[in-house]
Amino acid sequence: MEDLLEQSALVQWRIDGELHELEVVPGASLLDVLREQVGKTGTHMGCRTGHCGACTVMIDGAVAKSCIAMAATLPRATITTIEGLTAADGTMHPIQQAFWDAAGLQCGFCAPGILLSTAELLQTNPAPNDAEIDAALAGTLCRCTGYQSIRRAVGEACVRMYPDAAGE
Amino acid sequence: MADSPDGDLKYVGRSIRTKEGRAPLIGKAKYTSDYAFAGQLHACIVRSPHAAARINRVDLSAATRVAGVRLAMHGADVAALTDPIPDYLEPALFGGKAAAHRCLAIDEVWCYGQPVAVVVAEDMRTARYAAARVQVDYTPLEAVVDAEAALAVGARTIVPGWDDNLLMHVPFMHGDTVAAFESADQVVSTEVKIHRFSTQPMETRCYNAVWEHNTESITLYGTSQNPHPLRLVLAQTLRMPENKIRIIASTIGGAFGLKMHGHPEEGLICLLAKLTGQPVKWLESREECLLIGAREQKHYIEMAVNNDGTVLGLRDRFYANTGAPSACPGWGMAFLTGLTMPGPYKVRDIDVQMHAVSTNKPSWNAARGYGKESTAIALELAMDNVARQLGVSPVTVRLKNFIGKDEFPYDSPTGLLYDSGDYAGAVEKTLQAIDYDDCLEEQASARESGRYIGIGVAFELTPEGGAIPGSMVVGYDTSSVRVGPDGTVRLLTGVTSPGTGNATGIAQIVADELGVDIDAIEVLQGDTNASPYGFGNYSGRSTIVGGGSAALAAQDVRLMIDKVAAALLEVERSSLVLQRGVYTSTADSSASVTFAEVCYAAYTRAYDVALCIDPPLEATRTFRPPSIRHTPDANGNINPYPSYSNAAYATVCEVDVQTGQVKLLKFAVTHDCGKVINPILVEGQACGAIGFGIGGALTEDVRYDASGRQLTRSFMDYVMPRMSDMPPIAVEHHDMPNPGNYLGLKGAGEAGVGGSAAAVVNAVNNALQPLGVVMNELPLTAPRVWAAIQQASVAPTPGGDQ
Amino acid sequence: MSLYPSYARPRSLQQAVDLLSGLQGGVVVIAGGQEILPSVNYGVLMPDVYVDIGGIEELIGISSVGDELVMGALTVHRDIQGHADVQRLAPLLAQSVSAMGGGWQVHNRGTIGGNIVAMHPLYDIAPSLLALQADIELIDAAGTRRLSFADLLADSSHGLGTKAILTRVFVTASPQSSWGYYKLKNTSGAYGSANAAAVLETEGEILTAIRVVIGAAADQLTLVSDALAGLTGAAYDAAAGAEIERICAQAIGTPLSDHQGDGTWRRAMAGVVARRAVEAALLPATGPDS
Repeated sequence: MEDLLEQSALVQWRIDGELHELEVVPGASLLDVLREQVGKTGTHMGCRTGHCGACTVMIDGAVAKSCIAMAATLPRATITTIEGLTAADGTMHPIQQAFWDAAGLQCGFCAPGILLSTAELLQTNPAPNDAEIDAALAGTLCRCTGYQSIRRAVGEACVRMYPDAAGE
Repeated sequence: MADSPDGDLKYVGRSIRTKEGRAPLIGKAKYTSDYAFAGQLHACIVRSPHAAARINRVDLSAATRVAGVRLAMHGADVAALTDPIPDYLEPALFGGKAAAHRCLAIDEVWCYGQPVAVVVAEDMRTARYAAARVQVDYTPLEAVVDAEAALAVGARTIVPGWDDNLLMHVPFMHGDTVAAFESADQVVSTEVKIHRFSTQPMETRCYNAVWEHNTESITLYGTSQNPHPLRLVLAQTLRMPENKIRIIASTIGGAFGLKMHGHPEEGLICLLAKLTGQPVKWLESREECLLIGAREQKHYIEMAVNNDGTVLGLRDRFYANTGAPSACPGWGMAFLTGLTMPGPYKVRDIDVQMHAVSTNKPSWNAARGYGKESTAIALELAMDNVARQLGVSPVTVRLKNFIGKDEFPYDSPTGLLYDSGDYAGAVEKTLQAIDYDDCLEEQASARESGRYIGIGVAFELTPEGGAIPGSMVVGYDTSSVRVGPDGTVRLLTGVTSPGTGNATGIAQIVADELGVDIDAIEVLQGDTNASPYGFGNYSGRSTIVGGGSAALAAQDVRLMIDKVAAALLEVERSSLVLQRGVYTSTADSSASVTFAEVCYAAYTRAYDVALCIDPPLEATRTFRPPSIRHTPDANGNINPYPSYSNAAYATVCEVDVQTGQVKLLKFAVTHDCGKVINPILVEGQACGAIGFGIGGALTEDVRYDASGRQLTRSFMDYVMPRMSDMPPIAVEHHDMPNPGNYLGLKGAGEAGVGGSAAAVVNAVNNALQPLGVVMNELPLTAPRVWAAIQQASVAPTPGGDQ
Repeated sequence: MSLYPSYARPRSLQQAVDLLSGLQGGVVVIAGGQEILPSVNYGVLMPDVYVDIGGIEELIGISSVGDELVMGALTVHRDIQGHADVQRLAPLLAQSVSAMGGGWQVHNRGTIGGNIVAMHPLYDIAPSLLALQADIELIDAAGTRRLSFADLLADSSHGLGTKAILTRVFVTASPQSSWGYYKLKNTSGAYGSANAAAVLETEGEILTAIRVVIGAAADQLTLVSDALAGLTGAAYDAAAGAEIERICAQAIGTPLSDHQGDGTWRRAMAGVVARRAVEAALLPATGPDS
């Protein structure tokens, strides 16, 4: 069975809408491959232990910490980074626009975790309460805002994405 | 996205985030680690596993044999090519001791984690793998870990040649403390222990040095708060002329003082690039970032008080464990703690003895609050203790002792000149914001049902914009405003943004001064080849001096444009009206020309309508806050600060007495930062700093074993607040404009850490007062609180049950 | 320890087992990676071979047969939390999986098998599995075997070694029992300081069986069942609560002492979380408080 052993792994990923075929080194994290082999530097290294969430991406529509996902274990996947939230013509996703308008960021380093987790939350929940927002964003640390402006921006994003749900 | 100025509607005062906003949200901001260059090499640093040891031998051979390794060096290799790193702030300026700071340790290591060797390889994995193969033969030495033990007779001196471990002792004395204590009704003693907690920005440090072969110079892409002063430090360390070094401090992912310079890796990475002739990058791991310390202090406070609550005198003997000597400015925090005593209180007779102690713990760097947070924690815990001892409300004790709002400018006993403030007013606003009376009722009814709710108040004075004579900590800064022939604006400023959004604040000021749309302004910060010489970001100075200097430059340029407009329209300048990008005249209703047309004329008609100005439409101005005074007064004191921001805090907590867990239910702050340029940015600063204070008060803690090895190595152990840990924060403003500064600015950013930490501790003590528990040792982790409750229930403290 | 590790992605359990049986040391079995990558990233773990079992379909999914819940080892936490079968047959498990840290990002990737195999004393799933008297299934070259989770814990190599793969987890529902989970941690982002899973049986107000498992307080799980037998045959009251607290604290042999708290506190908290888990079990109307 040792003939199964390979020195590298081939992966086929649709990243932010674009198809990539890559040869990745065993042990390399999805984070390192995205940043170094694909140039997706919008995804950030904050701790490499899965605590901070700055490296968050979506794998097949679900948020994940790319620093603790081994690239080789994802032979085929659809990966959305923070860069993929933006439309091809540069139009911001309503969540991005809401965070901009409500100043839901300071340094922006944690934005991948905050925005993509918000996106997953709002996919299924048009009007999350505080506890639901807490749960969705529990995996991401922000050191600048004290989270107050983030909470406000998530609320603003709900209004933009679901204008009809507001006030219900 | 922003509306253009419309009539009286100005940008200043509005909550917007136009600059530095879009790029990070679409993942396109370029942080330092996002830069990669052709031929990029990677460095990995070998660090000491011992707190104190003699280095007998460093064997690099196994590392250099690894395929892909380009260079490996030890301390002696590097020392042969570099000079010691100059201090950001020399202890000797304050009568302290000097030590040679090297990029890599040479004969001895002074702390756990000190760099000992470095490996450069073609990729990071190889560099790390090879670094693990470097063999270092150490003889461990007795580690000096505790600050007071470090001063004991016979303690091993951590720096060879020093006669003891006291980096510096400074007395801050005024008046007649002996008489004050003799005449007082009581003396209240409080021991306050502040632990080591760290700023930990989400972006760790990163340096990527490029050797520019064409000019034989270095370009360093670096996480630096202060690119120009760093350039001077690198020039001296690397034995290069300053004009052969360019520093580009790109978008910064949070700094909070940690990215001020003096770090050994800064010069080291530049040297490696020079030696290899290729770009060399080093990205700090979180484990490495957690080595950078701050704040650890032990205070022995005595307050001489009268039974009516008046504080007559203050004695404080305190010891700051500043770790191993370093070129970073962290140790200065201890000095500031002493200098800013006795904070907002009108106590004239003081005897404060500051001891900055060197130990074998890793070094400090600056941390948000820069020592003033420790002043607030020490004083505010002591004030609550006074209130407890006298049996009066903590609010009453503070109001009794505050400097009155009609007493400004106020000469502090340490020689500072407080510009303005209304401390009592800020406290009253805060109590209103938190519904203090309702809280008291809730507390009383909760106690009846066996629940422990506490209310804590605290005050914090945070002088901002500091300047220390003879150092690169200066009080002024410089900006350039350049308006192009199409009417768009390039703003360059010497202050940098650590990710706070100050570019937006400064652009708001310039937009108003120039009368242009804020979207027409591009701000550039942090490139030493482009920006005017500047000192970067520290001490809440960016809007005071960055905004102030940009306003002056914008006023100069606006005057030039107005002159050309008047010439074009053939009207008096005083009759001009600029609205929505169009100049009109009150003297001639048919006169009209766009701002852009005027700018074009300023460049293209230098011999007729623009003869009245010197093109181009550019001005560079410096704002030097007038109230800084470096000429010593009769007592030998200087005033290093132009402005004295302040804030009042209140919080409500519930303590689970079965577990010791503390839950914060409410929080309010009233902040006086002078004129508010942008409420949402100021609120962001306040809430972020309060997050630091809450985390520091309750959980964040860097721990060591008895031999000085650091136990806290990841975010598993260093636990910072998550979203659900933060209570909603009511932010109120109570602006008392600084008379000396542009628009009355005072500065924001540092206030929040100490005051909020103190409010939390006071709230917990207030909650547990019926049990006789008083805790003045931070952090108040659940196990500590529980242990204190157990101890109190075994032996009730006198006066406990009130 | 290798700079150039190799990698295999077997497509079937048999292939995986054959592969593992032929390999020497330095092998790491990986799926979600949530436990392994932090150590790899910190340089603590440098395997020679990664065997990726993530492609083995047989290991994925939740099903139920009668009162028995069957979960493939690669089932991720998020799927367990929301799955109707888990909610119906083992709500205690769903609750404890929801209490895990790391946020949605980790819940979406982390697997129940990885969580069990990690045998980390601070994790949330194991106390519930032991309280629910779960079984697990292993496969190695000798074949497949099913054993109780308790027996797995009792085995010093956890029955796994480097040759076996955890394949499935079984929980049999007992409809007459009620349950509670209580997790104590210093702050939202902290790891657990003590947690407890309680499974009770009652007749009317009368306690007829009580089983509590305490985690995160010692380096191994602490099952308290026989010592609590004296509390059965009566209704629960404050005195019973105090007794549970006392007995469960006493049951902790050598408490952990780490960043999550010192040993004295951990022992005391073992008692507190046990009582709170029992109380949560007795209050089904208001839902579990955790």
